[in-house]
Amino acid sequence: MEKKEKRNNLRILHYAFLLMGILLSAGCSGEDATSSAERLIVYDWSMADLPDFHSKFLEKYPNTPPKIVYLAEDVEAYGKIKAGFAFDIVHPCTQFFQLYVENGLILPLDTSRIERWNDLEPSFADMGNINGKQYVMPYDWGYESIVVRTDKVKEIPDSWEDLWDPQYKGHVSLIDAADPAQVFTSLILGFDPWNTTSEQDEEIQAKLSELKDNIFTYWTDFNEIQQLIASGDSWISANVWPETYAMLNNKGLPVKYITPKEGMIGWMCGYAISSKTKNLDMAYDYLNALLDPTSHAAYGNMGAGVSSKAALSLMDQEQVKLMNLDQLDLQNRTVFYKSWTEEQRKKFTERWNQFKAAP
Amino acid sequence: MNEEKKRAFFLLSPPAFYMLLFFIMPIGIMTSYVFREGAFGDARYIFTLDHFKDFFTTSSYHRLLFRSIFQAFVTALFSVILAYPLAYFLAFKAGRHKVIFMTLLLIPAWTAWLLRILAWKILLDSTGLLNLFLLSSGFISETAPYLLYSGTAVVITLVYIYVPFAALPLFSALESVDQNMIEASKDLGAGTLKTFFQITLPVSVPGVAAAFFFVFIPTLGEWVTPTLVGGAQGIMFGNLIQEQFVKTLNWPLGALMSLILLVLIIPVLFFFNRISGISEYAPV
Repeated sequence: MEKKEKRNNLRILHYAFLLMGILLSAGCSGEDATSSAERLIVYDWSMADLPDFHSKFLEKYPNTPPKIVYLAEDVEAYGKIKAGFAFDIVHPCTQFFQLYVENGLILPLDTSRIERWNDLEPSFADMGNINGKQYVMPYDWGYESIVVRTDKVKEIPDSWEDLWDPQYKGHVSLIDAADPAQVFTSLILGFDPWNTTSEQDEEIQAKLSELKDNIFTYWTDFNEIQQLIASGDSWISANVWPETYAMLNNKGLPVKYITPKEGMIGWMCGYAISSKTKNLDMAYDYLNALLDPTSHAAYGNMGAGVSSKAALSLMDQEQVKLMNLDQLDLQNRTVFYKSWTEEQRKKFTERWNQFKAAP
Repeated sequence: MNEEKKRAFFLLSPPAFYMLLFFIMPIGIMTSYVFREGAFGDARYIFTLDHFKDFFTTSSYHRLLFRSIFQAFVTALFSVILAYPLAYFLAFKAGRHKVIFMTLLLIPAWTAWLLRILAWKILLDSTGLLNLFLLSSGFISETAPYLLYSGTAVVITLVYIYVPFAALPLFSALESVDQNMIEASKDLGAGTLKTFFQITLPVSVPGVAAAFFFVFIPTLGEWVTPTLVGGAQGIMFGNLIQEQFVKTLNWPLGALMSLILLVLIIPVLFFFNRISGISEYAPV
């Protein structure tokens, strides 16, 4: 009797472990794709997969829709591609343009094959011009600034330096990325973020380390920062995108999107073609479909600025106003991320890691 | 080969092959990265010891490593302390309801890990239940994320997650306590406490050690929980390793950091194995 019970217990135990093993191993899966001659592989952000955004392409190739592989972070895409991932089209942001070119990962574009090239804002097109050649077709852009919970603070901050203000100790959250902190700290100190001497580097690092006390957490995505601000945990949040502000504002929360006196920070991303593509004609057809003003405007309506005037005029104008997407003077005062060199990328990211590891 | 050896060979070769392919070889590959200058292109073929220098000269990395060991230790300790009475109850007191109680213990583990961590965050943040309770009972006048965004938050969350896991090896060890010994102890006049401390606890030591390491080892490499509830002060060494691979793309340094964790764990494990004989009692 006792023996039977014991064996029974052992069986329960094994069943329990089996169950836990399954639970622990769940959620680990990966996707891999190889370049084929028939389907275009587009390595893009997860929000960019709606058919509306490339409807002209689908009209032309009804039987071979693009295979969209998602990227979660710029650096992840760059790492994966360097490690040999095969793709046809990728959607990087300015910081990585130079690195893609230096490593021979993307082709110079033949802009005469892009019908609406002249619709593009020249200032954005310039950002995709590396070493005198056009490698990237600019597509989306936006601001990064500070969102303030106006009910929690006595006066509204007006500078990036206010992140350091001791009265906000334990109430500041930062985006978990290496470059934003590097850029705003340089701006406060009056340095060019992409051209610093080693003394200036030390000053930046020292200044940044003083910020640590004020920060209570780092956030990584749109949903997380929304929750942090909405709950009231985060009074001062950097570097937040305007669509997050618009969303919170529409919910009726007391929030303000400030324009720091040193200028907002700006990001810009675009599309490039793999240097190893076997589907060059299809790739140009895809770029043309992306620039179709209706598709481009639909993309912008999800919460980004667009690089073409034609698309901007078709966007939801209320949103354009709320997010200041048509304010040229504001754009001109915005500090857009520039391309990193490999050395800068290493320096910025190592510094950020050390900053996070420090007490 | 005689019959018995043959049978052992057939039984052991699939798991041995699996371990070789998915454990020993990856560790070998990882070790090779430690000496490479970079993870991509030509840098893969350049031998260097620079990553050792980088790691051993950066004090903030060491600090985080020691803090993570401490955090894992505290998590494992509290998990065992909380799991022990549970396992004791299941082994000696639950009687014929054992299956029901065991299922109850495991039900929380059926919910996704991430969801359970996020649930803590929602309970503890400024608009969470804790704040609501403190505010309405007059203990505080202004809401704040108490207990969140700290090393303590990480420990609380992990203990909550690991208690059922820790209870299993403890249950297994307590099950093996010979009832005759307990009865003999009582016959000889020892009270419940004395019997527990002189018979039950010493016999269950291997289970305690197994439970401890069941929690300690995965906690040491944790990075999800610290990311979600740890905030700026609660991040752990695992976060640093993850960053090296995913964000910094410095795979060699990440590989070195991972190996350092491994090298630190193995001797401790051997030591505990010696003194407690975990392997004899390991439930799986």
